[in-house]
Amino acid sequence: MAKSETNRPATTSSKKEAVSREEHMKQLEFQKEAVIHINSLYNYALHLTMNPDDAEDLVQETYLKAYRFFNSFERGTNCKAWLFKILKNNYINSFRKNSKEPGKVDYDLIKDFYHSIKDTRTDTSEADTDYFHSLLHEEVYLALQSLPEEFREVIQLCDIEGFTYEEIANMVESPIGTVRSRLYRGRKLLRAQLENYAKKYGFNTDSEK
Amino acid sequence: MNCNKAHVLMSVAVDGELTLKEEQMFLLHLSECELCRLEYEEAKKTKMIIREKIVRFNAPPSLVNMIMQLSSVDSKKTENSLSL
Repeated sequence: MAKSETNRPATTSSKKEAVSREEHMKQLEFQKEAVIHINSLYNYALHLTMNPDDAEDLVQETYLKAYRFFNSFERGTNCKAWLFKILKNNYINSFRKNSKEPGKVDYDLIKDFYHSIKDTRTDTSEADTDYFHSLLHEEVYLALQSLPEEFREVIQLCDIEGFTYEEIANMVESPIGTVRSRLYRGRKLLRAQLENYAKKYGFNTDSEK
Repeated sequence: MNCNKAHVLMSVAVDGELTLKEEQMFLLHLSECELCRLEYEEAKKTKMIIREKIVRFNAPPSLVNMIMQLSSVDSKKTENSLSL
């Protein structure tokens, strides 16, 4: 006979009753829907601000706002896209307006990040010897950073975060056609950069396959 | 469709965002144009490399904690349930 544990005492009795049940449900839903995207948001913020402290502030502001307006989040739509949009708006408002110099890049820090990673990570996922696999994380990162912001942004949102064109168009407040052409032009520039790196290793990038 | 137009669509094709009509024209062109076929393979690789090689950072635990608290009991600033 399995022992049931129905006799377990209620441990939540001490919880403050100040929070209404409704509020509690909202909190739970918020954690399930929104908080799980914190790493993505943090990475996006890092890319925008290029500075970990600013990135933290930005993410925090974003969640504060998101929580406050969580009721206006359209259930069933992409919460991550909604959060990204809020973050982007926050970024534009607080960093652009307060002339907080968004362009101030902490390159040393970025370098440190990447050096610490390089040591712990070995990429031998495929026995593929083509030039892409010779590229270092840091090089790909720098190549991406070298792009004009409008191109870098859409590539990031599309390739790294996996948003659809429609979601991206909404985030950057441009028509889908613009998103398309920015992706096209951005990738062209990016590839030229990557091939430069690859040439350094003596790879012939005029692919014959 | 000429190669120029195909090149523009390549980037869209890689993302699976072509309209049905575009896709038909694009595939038709690829079937006739060796260069564009190769180019398309390269375009796919470029996307892959970004996905694979861009390192993702974890949000600092202190930040995660802060956000969790924000959406748990509002004014409760007591213990950090997760040890840092």
